[in-house]
Amino acid sequence: MQKPGEELLVAYLDGELDEAQRSEVEAWLGHDNTAREQLARLSETASLLRAAFDEVLREEVPERLIAAARGESAADRLRDAEILPFRPTRRVSGFAGGRHWWIAVPVAASFFGLMIGGGLGYFGLGKAPAEDKQVAVSSASTNSWLDNVAGYHKLFVSAAAGENSFADIPANGDEVIQKISQRTSQAGVRVPNLKPWGLIFQGARVVVIEGRPAAQLVYTADNQAVGSAIGPLTVVIGSSKRADVTPTFERRQDVNILYWRRKGHAYAIVGQADPGYMWNLVNDIAYQLDAI
Amino acid sequence: MSSRYAIPELPPDVDDPAMSAGFSDQLIAVLPRLRRFARGLTGSATEADDLVQAACERALSRMEQFQEGTRFDSWMFRIVQTIWIDQLRARNVRKEDGEIDGERLGSDEAMRRVEARIALAEVRRAVSRLPIEQRTALLLVTVEGMSYKEAAEIAKVPVGTIMSRLARARVALQAQLDAGGGLRRSVDDAETR
Repeated sequence: MQKPGEELLVAYLDGELDEAQRSEVEAWLGHDNTAREQLARLSETASLLRAAFDEVLREEVPERLIAAARGESAADRLRDAEILPFRPTRRVSGFAGGRHWWIAVPVAASFFGLMIGGGLGYFGLGKAPAEDKQVAVSSASTNSWLDNVAGYHKLFVSAAAGENSFADIPANGDEVIQKISQRTSQAGVRVPNLKPWGLIFQGARVVVIEGRPAAQLVYTADNQAVGSAIGPLTVVIGSSKRADVTPTFERRQDVNILYWRRKGHAYAIVGQADPGYMWNLVNDIAYQLDAI
Repeated sequence: MSSRYAIPELPPDVDDPAMSAGFSDQLIAVLPRLRRFARGLTGSATEADDLVQAACERALSRMEQFQEGTRFDSWMFRIVQTIWIDQLRARNVRKEDGEIDGERLGSDEAMRRVEARIALAEVRRAVSRLPIEQRTALLLVTVEGMSYKEAAEIAKVPVGTIMSRLARARVALQAQLDAGGGLRRSVDDAETR
């Protein structure tokens, strides 16, 4: 029997040989110790190679690549980086004014459809040109933030399908809050307890949105039967220099987002659950996070 | 191929904004793997991300060229590989004999000193010393888990060529790691990860 070359050995290892070739290689391996050792070393090298590059998969995907995948140009990103005061009156708002706005959130949810109609109608009213420009830039900036939030959520859903390993900071660590605070430079970060809502905290990732680190808290449904209806869900906590804004609903990239800003922080609840369910979550999460 | 990166088929109607959004969604989903492939090709994190960004931009501009029913990830790998080859040609630094580009090594020296503490970095460096054709075949088949046929289509060469490039790459890689004593250390470190 002729000694198979390296090509056949490698192809055998890769499962690329036909039946006859495979039998020939196996027969030869059966009586040649050197060939078996060589095969083992080749296999070991392949495992090493995969391990050497697999860590790239665990790295955070840079924001600029997500933007590029969405077709945003460099000019878009530059414009979006501008931070101007946000004008909540131009948005579809959950509840305008009031210190304890979360009390009214369920009520606001009931009128959600009506508000969308009203909000859209309001956009059609005449505006001064200067104001138009400011609102446009402000909207672009908010759009960028929301698109990033949606993008990171979809990345989590598609790349990890809810696996715990997707989180840089595992939920079961004692120092989870401390790590989130350190890595996002935010003091006193809290992790909302959403067990009453059927959602289990799986861990956190640090993402960069508009050049600032933010925490992306990952939750999955604790009941598989209803899992697809309510989870997975991510909660983003970032810092913001913009004015406070009450909870506002947006739908981006087939993802529902409820976001608000309060006391220098920007928050978002992101998922594909029913908007009414998410409005109720806002009430609870805002209450739990308000002390930040 | 792992199912966690299963990509749905792309509808051909690229004029439809919803379809364009679907295209972007697929692109975002495959980004981690594109970055891994690009990292292997370039040997540099920054260059790899630049390469992936260029590939995203090219893919979006040629969305209509994607054929329904074919693998989206393979199409993107082909774009990454094509752009990288074009860049190498433009810089005239293509190394058929596997020689390392001295300038790039020098600029990465600081990073290399840091990476030296990580045993698996030795494997990546060994890969970076392979000729680009062998490197591409190795990354597509051994790291990305593609078949010889799929790798051949991406590299635009016959299957037999992929087979021989792979064999040469695997033997050369093994020889490099053995010579540097890195294989044993890397295995130990990999097992403790």
